[in-house]
Amino acid sequence: MSRNRQLLRYFVKSWPSFAAGGVALLATNLLALSIPRQIGAAVQHLRDAADTASIDVSAVESLAWTIAALALGAAVARVVSRVFIFNAGRQTEYRLRNELFAHLTRLDRAFFERSATGDLTSRVVNDVTFVRLMFGFGVLHVVNTAIAYVVVLSLMLSVSPKLTLYSLLPYPIIFFTVRLFTKAVYTRTQAVQAQLSAISARAQENLSGAMVVRAFAIQDRENDAFRALSDEYVERNLALARVRGALMPYMGVIGGLGMLIVLWLGGLETIREGITLGEYIEFSAYIVTLAWPTMAMGWVLSMWHRGTAAFDRLGVILDAKPSVAPPATGALHLPAISATSGEIQFEGVSLTYEDGTEALRGVDLTIAAGTTVAIVGRTGGGKTSLVHLVARMRDPTAGRVLLDGVDLRDVDPVEVRGEIGYVPQDPFLFSMTVEDNIRLGERPGSGLTVDDAVRIAGLSDDVEILSNGLQTLVGERGVTLSGGQKQRVTIARAVMRAPRVLVLDDALASVDTRTERRILDELAAVMKGRTSLVVTHRFSALELVDEIVVVDEGRVAERGSHEALLALGGIYAGLHRRQQMEEEA
Amino acid sequence: MSAETSTDHRDEAEVSAEQARDGRIAVRLWAFIRPYRVLFALCMLLLPVASALSLLQPHLIQLAIDNHFVPRKEEGLGLLVLAFAATILAEFFLRYAQIYLMELAGQRALRDLRCAVFAHIQRLRIAYFHRNPVGRLMTRLTSDVDSLQEALSSGVVTIIGDLFTLAAIVVILLAKNWRLALVTFAVVPVLLGVSFVFRLLIRAAYRVLRTKIARLNADLQEAVTGMGVVQLFVHEEASKAAYDEVNRDHRDAAYKSIRWDAVLYAIVEMIGSIAIAGIIWWGAGEAVAGYATLGVLVAFVEYVQKFFIPIRDLSQKYAVVQSAMASAERLFELLDSTEIIEDAPDARPLDGFEDRIEFRNVWFTYTDEDNWVLRDVSFTIDKGERVAFCGHTGAGKTTIIGLLTRMYDIQRGQILVDGVDIRELRLRDLRRRFSVVLQDGFLFAGSLRDNIAMRAGEVDEARLREASAVVHLDRLIERYPQGFEHPVRERGVNLSSGERQLVTFARALAHRPDVLILDEATANVDTETEALVQAAVEALLQHQTSVVIAHRLSTIEKVDKIVVLHHGEVAESGSHAELLALGGLYARLVELQYTDPTRRGADA
Ligand SMILES: Nc1ncnc2c1ncn2[C@@H]1O[C@H](COP(=O)(O)OP(=O)(O)OP(=O)(O)O)[C@@H](O)[C@H]1O
Ligand SMILES: Nc1ncnc2c1ncn2[C@@H]1O[C@H](COP(=O)(O)OP(=O)(O)OP(=O)(O)O)[C@@H](O)[C@H]1O
Ligand SMILES: [Mg+2]
Repeated sequence: MSRNRQLLRYFVKSWPSFAAGGVALLATNLLALSIPRQIGAAVQHLRDAADTASIDVSAVESLAWTIAALALGAAVARVVSRVFIFNAGRQTEYRLRNELFAHLTRLDRAFFERSATGDLTSRVVNDVTFVRLMFGFGVLHVVNTAIAYVVVLSLMLSVSPKLTLYSLLPYPIIFFTVRLFTKAVYTRTQAVQAQLSAISARAQENLSGAMVVRAFAIQDRENDAFRALSDEYVERNLALARVRGALMPYMGVIGGLGMLIVLWLGGLETIREGITLGEYIEFSAYIVTLAWPTMAMGWVLSMWHRGTAAFDRLGVILDAKPSVAPPATGALHLPAISATSGEIQFEGVSLTYEDGTEALRGVDLTIAAGTTVAIVGRTGGGKTSLVHLVARMRDPTAGRVLLDGVDLRDVDPVEVRGEIGYVPQDPFLFSMTVEDNIRLGERPGSGLTVDDAVRIAGLSDDVEILSNGLQTLVGERGVTLSGGQKQRVTIARAVMRAPRVLVLDDALASVDTRTERRILDELAAVMKGRTSLVVTHRFSALELVDEIVVVDEGRVAERGSHEALLALGGIYAGLHRRQQMEEEA
Repeated sequence: MSAETSTDHRDEAEVSAEQARDGRIAVRLWAFIRPYRVLFALCMLLLPVASALSLLQPHLIQLAIDNHFVPRKEEGLGLLVLAFAATILAEFFLRYAQIYLMELAGQRALRDLRCAVFAHIQRLRIAYFHRNPVGRLMTRLTSDVDSLQEALSSGVVTIIGDLFTLAAIVVILLAKNWRLALVTFAVVPVLLGVSFVFRLLIRAAYRVLRTKIARLNADLQEAVTGMGVVQLFVHEEASKAAYDEVNRDHRDAAYKSIRWDAVLYAIVEMIGSIAIAGIIWWGAGEAVAGYATLGVLVAFVEYVQKFFIPIRDLSQKYAVVQSAMASAERLFELLDSTEIIEDAPDARPLDGFEDRIEFRNVWFTYTDEDNWVLRDVSFTIDKGERVAFCGHTGAGKTTIIGLLTRMYDIQRGQILVDGVDIRELRLRDLRRRFSVVLQDGFLFAGSLRDNIAMRAGEVDEARLREASAVVHLDRLIERYPQGFEHPVRERGVNLSSGERQLVTFARALAHRPDVLILDEATANVDTETEALVQAAVEALLQHQTSVVIAHRLSTIEKVDKIVVLHHGEVAESGSHAELLALGGLYARLVELQYTDPTRRGADA
């Protein structure tokens, strides 16, 4: 859909408000324009009275009342028109933000990795504002300007079509020149908004990395960087102001040229008696009023181009296509859960990241339903990349992943994720209470309560220490919890699902050995007959697993039981030897 | 919506307090405008000149009519036309200059404000960020500053000019006929009353609006950072609904501000016209009674029309001003927040770490004294000593590091570095003695180099390579075509967690600290790499004072001293051997690890 069609769509959605506002605006203008006429009549009356030295008080009084009544009517109409039109602008803004948000929830991990958070939020916040102004003030001024033109032009025409034509002579220039301005307004607005995004992204990072900034005392570096970005922002704004600021005075010049031509040609004609002096005098009074709508047109133009520039920046979000999406047609469903479910097959799976990193290279692996499998290997070997595929956080670049015999790409990702309890490597909590965070994993029919989840995740003792127990607010990302507490809340959250497949991605790294042992015991009970994938660097966690898979350099390097792998004397044996050496040293 | 109800019941004291506050805000804004006052003054001068020029144009037409059209004289008209053209051009340049200068001055003043707010945020203590979502602070830095910007570019400064015009007209009216003038001015109290009431309403509306927009941004920012989790737990619908609610709240708050704006604007317009009607009505009587000549009356009507033009302009700028003031309030509130850890006036420099660090009977809580996180904690770290902290999760290990680097101030006791209380030391000096690898390794968007070097110029190429080699990052960096210039995405999302930790480890090493602090620095790293890193670090930094936190006890056995924390208290401390002999908490923890089945398998 072209941009203008899209904009029209938003306009149409609020058309009753815009229409009501437009009608009220028309009324406002008609009423407001008739007030000067009444005042004129009154003044005329007084002038006449001055000439005749007698005054008809009742006639003057009735004029005064008419003015007051008109003023009241205009005021009411004005309130109605502004409320409708500006509200429609706000409604559009509201709608647009909701649509942006809804689209964001559909976009995949790769998109969010590509984008800076501050940039995305800046688009949704700051750019949408300009679109709103285009819809609110823009429409108001288009209508106002149009009415003013119609009124003034019809008055001018009624006096002298010829002079009117003269005064309009410079206007065609607008069509040729104004494009230069508006194009520049468009590109420079985009440059300004991009810089605002850069400022937001920088600030956003600085704020979320507040701890590191302080620990390394790099405030000066941060201040300098922020200052530099702000300086550039000023420069770009000034570059924009150089064209935008010229637009209105420029339109003033066009209007002025009209007057000039009337003065010159019209004047000559008046002298040569082509038109009467009276006509000229009246005409020159009107032409001054034409200057205002002409200037306002410049304003409308710049508002329009600023708005469209901002709107086009929203395309980065609105036009982004998620690579992980439901199948276009004929989505399959996972087979119903049975005594043993959760078989996972990787068939020739490869994954290459956008920057060319080959994280997985032809992985063939079957994880039997109902087993607990540990995935170990060296840092950067591809373990996280592998388990990401199970929850369809990404799709493989080659090969396929099957859950209980169904290719994940044939299933709605929502359905897949509903069956998986995933504990990510970096624990992320929302700034809500502990309980609400755990409830995020809630699933009807799972048969587990928050208390169960808390117990299984070994959180019971901690919940007692926390100032408000389960109702303690955890701060953004869970900052007010200790590292181990955070991790265990994410475990509780995943357990709440009673999932078909449980994925623990190094999820016990910040937990002491005793707690780790307790959690694994509890999990074993809950996950009976289901599949668990446990990514870990700790050998103490390998007690309960059925099989160990070693992933290295994107391949399944070894697999088997602990003893078998030790006997193999490969990577696993090496990792294990290291740990022993540490312990014995 | 407490803001509304409170305005409804605002008593006089509050109102005057409000005015005093506006005064203070204006004074403080002036501090940012002051450096550019010449530019602002120039703008204010240009505006009346430009207006005068546009008034000159009708006058030139008048001249043309009187001197040329009426007497039908062609010669000389060309000159007038030229003069007219000159006014057009001059007006163009003056207006353009005025707009541009205003933008120039405004942008610069607000850049200063923005940077001042940012700089202030850099001084805030970390606890502030635990209560204030990032999105809210972002709103301050962007849209609140922009709302002031909008006020400046919409010509708020020209209000002063408008006020002058008003005053001049008032004097003229009084001179012409004071009785009629007083009739005219009868509307002034009404105007004042209306604008006074509406100021409160509009300001309240904008205050609510500012709060809502901050909320909207905070929610958005959190949703964007947590979108992965939202999707994993199929919470898209719920989070859309939550966002819709905040969004709707924001829109409704905006509706309210629109309503008051519109009503105020309409009323001011109306009062203008009604005043004229009043003059006509009253004046007619006056004229009949002979107090005023009709000529005066006509002049009056015309002047009164002029009188209301600036008033109308003022009322149009009113909303912008109120919005800007609401933003300024928030900005200054942030600038005034005293939640900063500041150097004492006589803070001492700290050039190096010579002797020992001591925690002396330290008590600490994040919240209130019913929830002590550390209770009466005492220990020492001597120069060159390696000290480890262990204990169950949540015991307070990370907290101790926060206290040592003075991220938080303690409630009781003392923390001493070389015998000096850290509260008497220069904060920056103190923090630069330490290099911390935090539990959750935070990387900035930028190159690997920037992430390791952090402060430009302090880490040379050799150090950079050395540090990366020590933590075994060289293998990874070789893989990247751009080497150290390889771009790291926000928070390091394009690295594996282990790699991320290694980068933060390299960062800490590259800075050659006096004290190296490792909080679970290799928790997400495989055992092989971990062992290699550990050995290499030991080789590189002999006699390095270090503080280590680890859950894998095997990694801390060799340290000089182990401090075991239990529920915020020091349960025991000593060397590995001493603690084992003691047979306490540590011995039990170790025993648990020794029952490691894989280990038993290996022993068998
Ligand atoms: N910013 C904070 N506000 C309030 N409470 C906090 C804050 N940070 C930590 N706590 C609480 O203080 C206690 C100690 O936390 P700390 O992070 O020091 O534990 P830890 O020993 O490092 O644990 P772990 O091994 O899990 O990292 C915990 O109960 C935690 O919930
Ligand atoms: N989003 C990404 N873009 C580009 N490269 C990536 C991305 N995520 C991971 N990588 C790279 O892919 C490789 C595999 O990463 P992965 O996170 O799967 O490792 P891992 O085995 O989980 O490591 P760790 O033990 O440290 O968690 C690493 O070299 C990493 O740098
Ligand atoms: Mg990983």
